[in-house]
Amino acid sequence: MTKKRNFFQALFLLRLLVQRNIKNQYYRSVIGILWTVLNPLLNMLVMAFVFSVLFGSETDGLDYPVYILAGNIIFNVMRSSTASALPCLVQQRDMLLKTKVHAEIFPISNVLSSLVTFFFSLIALLLVMILRAMSGFYSFHWQIILFPLLLPALSLFSAGIAFFLSALYVFFRDIKHIYSVILTLWTYLTPLFYSLKKLQSETAARFIRLNPMYHFVTLFRTMLVGTVPPLSSFALCYLFSAISIALGCLFFSLLRPRIAARL
Amino acid sequence: MTHSDLSRRLLSVEHVSMSFRRYDVGVDSLKELIVRAFRRDLHKNKFQCLKDVSFQVDRGEAVALIGKNGAGKSTLLKIVSGILPPEQGSVFCGGRITPLLRLGAGFDSNASGLENIYLNAAILGYPKKEIDEKLLPIIEFSELGDFIRAPIKTYSSGMLARLGFSVAVNLPSEILLIDEILAVGDLAFSRKCYRKLDELRANGTTFLIVSHSESVRRYCSRAIWLDGGTIRADGDIDQIFKEYSACMLQKTEFKTAP
Repeated sequence: MTKKRNFFQALFLLRLLVQRNIKNQYYRSVIGILWTVLNPLLNMLVMAFVFSVLFGSETDGLDYPVYILAGNIIFNVMRSSTASALPCLVQQRDMLLKTKVHAEIFPISNVLSSLVTFFFSLIALLLVMILRAMSGFYSFHWQIILFPLLLPALSLFSAGIAFFLSALYVFFRDIKHIYSVILTLWTYLTPLFYSLKKLQSETAARFIRLNPMYHFVTLFRTMLVGTVPPLSSFALCYLFSAISIALGCLFFSLLRPRIAARL
Repeated sequence: MTHSDLSRRLLSVEHVSMSFRRYDVGVDSLKELIVRAFRRDLHKNKFQCLKDVSFQVDRGEAVALIGKNGAGKSTLLKIVSGILPPEQGSVFCGGRITPLLRLGAGFDSNASGLENIYLNAAILGYPKKEIDEKLLPIIEFSELGDFIRAPIKTYSSGMLARLGFSVAVNLPSEILLIDEILAVGDLAFSRKCYRKLDELRANGTTFLIVSHSESVRRYCSRAIWLDGGTIRADGDIDQIFKEYSACMLQKTEFKTAP
């Protein structure tokens, strides 16, 4: 009975924290929540403009603007949830030192907030898809609706990294700078604006296939092209996420007793 | 221990010890750690903060924790409330604890007072239903009126403290842990706070208060004197305050003497 009560209480707190994150993200701007849609859209425009010159208009069977935007919104779930989770325990120092709140709830709330932002970005993607479909560059396929199958894997993968980083940051405050470099590198090592097929370097391609984000991004694009992804692709993504969440939770629970003393 | 003892006992602290690891110079970056590891310069020293502290608190009791700065009072309060896990020993608590160590923990300056009531109370561990039930008393007690719908960054510090205090004392709790009696807001409101605490006392809420001042005598009949991480005395508050003040005075005289 108390377990159930505690669980619902935690869910309630989680909901409030996610609401707070989302509201604060775009609080100061005049058009508010519209930015969550506009932001990826404008980014995509810039990238599409710059890179379509280099890579042509169709990439892996997908219209280039759609290709870029699809890759970016998937990658952004990981990027924004881990980048915001990194300092989250230190930022909530006050709460963690003065109340009994569970530390796990903060990284989780950051991942969920990124997931909410993802749904807004999805609207941007849909807009672009409709526009491109009207000019005949893209055609819709029913396989798009399979995308929710990807989200649990993506969230768990991000959550694992979020747990790891947020706990580590309590002890080493300079990993913030290291991680921002890693994120930049990771962005370039994921085929967001280029395509592996056009890379024409087998060594590089083999290396990039070790990157879990490549598989998440590719899975999503496969659906947009109109093919049902093979079960093995799903299995691979869920394998990555299982490893990530297991290691992240293990690391977090090991450091957990020492976090409050080091904040 | 008889059965009635067990049911009366609300809080029991058994042989709690706590120490903090301190590097000579704070190492909180990876770079620092690596550089120091190479120089073999990682002198750690342990700072023993609490040594074998044991005490029991019965239901409805009000206990004051006194002692000079750095005696381990706040750390003990954190361990009792479950924020810090003790290094050794254990804490048993038979009721719901509200740690009032900081008013308005988790307040978000962009959100309205109303939203912050929910956020703050949820962080303190209350489910939505209980907050809904107490919402009106909380708003009423805080005397914020229409301001409750305004973002709290527009509040004065007194208004913020009033809101935080109002949330903390209006939600149901068996033990209230207070770090320093909080003189909140203007004279009228601070009187109201004292009255509210009186009311909670009369209803049988257990208090554990950290304090330096003798004002805690209003609520507490028993005091625990912490000195250098151990319990130096535990008993009647008047007696202990007498000894404590004598000891403090002696020290200052000793220092000022040529």
